[in-house]
Amino acid sequence: MPKMRLDSGAAGQELIAELRSTLERAGELIRVVEANLQDKPESRDDAASSDERIGELERRLATAESDVKELASRLVDSEHQGGRLMNLYVATYQLHATLDPAEVQATIAEIAINLLGAEQFVLLLRRDEGEGCEIALFEGMYDGVVPPFDVETYTGGDPMVDVTLRDGVLRLGPTAESKALAAVPLRVQNEIVGVLVLLKLLDHKPILRAEDRDLLDLLSAHAASALFAARLFATKDRKLRTLESLVKLARGE
Amino acid sequence: MQPRKVLVVDDSKLMHKMYEVMLRQYALVYASDGRQALDRLQEHADIDLVLLDINMPNMNGLEFLAQLRSDGSRSELPVIIISTEGREEDTARGLEAGATAYIKKPFHSEEIIEVISRLDVKGSAA
Repeated sequence: MPKMRLDSGAAGQELIAELRSTLERAGELIRVVEANLQDKPESRDDAASSDERIGELERRLATAESDVKELASRLVDSEHQGGRLMNLYVATYQLHATLDPAEVQATIAEIAINLLGAEQFVLLLRRDEGEGCEIALFEGMYDGVVPPFDVETYTGGDPMVDVTLRDGVLRLGPTAESKALAAVPLRVQNEIVGVLVLLKLLDHKPILRAEDRDLLDLLSAHAASALFAARLFATKDRKLRTLESLVKLARGE
Repeated sequence: MQPRKVLVVDDSKLMHKMYEVMLRQYALVYASDGRQALDRLQEHADIDLVLLDINMPNMNGLEFLAQLRSDGSRSELPVIIISTEGREEDTARGLEAGATAYIKKPFHSEEIIEVISRLDVKGSAA
């Protein structure tokens, strides 16, 4: 987990520093040997043997330097991978940390803003009764919701969003027909219950990166189930309270 | 000296969880806006680093920072702004207001770890 990642990262840094120091010492040693050889008069055999040793040391030094570079590169990769896993863990944890539908929606918004760097987005959820989707959430539209999402019930208008609502496949844009940067289907089991539409990223986040795809997939799989569970709980809780009130009334309490 | 107790000021529960996971080696204290953050500083005299969001209800990050810097006893406390406000003028405004460093969201955890590791809790990033 992240603590291990940080600890192993620190250990890796120390190892690389130690290897670098060893290499520097080896380099110094070679320089000393070379200086000594230049100072001392040698027989032809001694000189040949010394040249061989120096050659061998230099080859080992080159190999060790290459190993250090490789290790440093792997360390950077593993730190990056650790960061990606941490984002996924935190997003999943927080989506399922509550049974309050408003809090789940707030978490979806926080993931979009803080982890994906989205500035403008809308969350469409299929209505329980009737056609179309409600605009459950919109963000970053200070002059009003942008078309075609500026309606109470979305029944269509953005081709990329419409096809994602039909087939449940995550799509990245923009395309010739759609300004959306991503249409993320929200699935509960095999049913498409909505779509998160990313419309604009923050200025300092010019494009969605490869690692963002993991987060989009996670939202697709977990956001809807978290929202579905929270809504179900809220409905049951409301019904339970109504029944309890009726029982109290019947008892004359 | 490295910081030991860190005040996280952010109105996002997701970010609170993120810092909890990322900064396990530090004791963390949380606040959801600038006013709460001022209260936490009163309650925890040993806080030696603040991670500060800007867009928050009640009292935003820059207002909090102005109050903090006007308080003689806490004027040297290191503050790292971590915000989605990423334009150059936002960064300049944050640093002029007295922030020690400015990190843009979304961030890689290594960035924050690195900035904290370079911090001198008496004042600024080394």
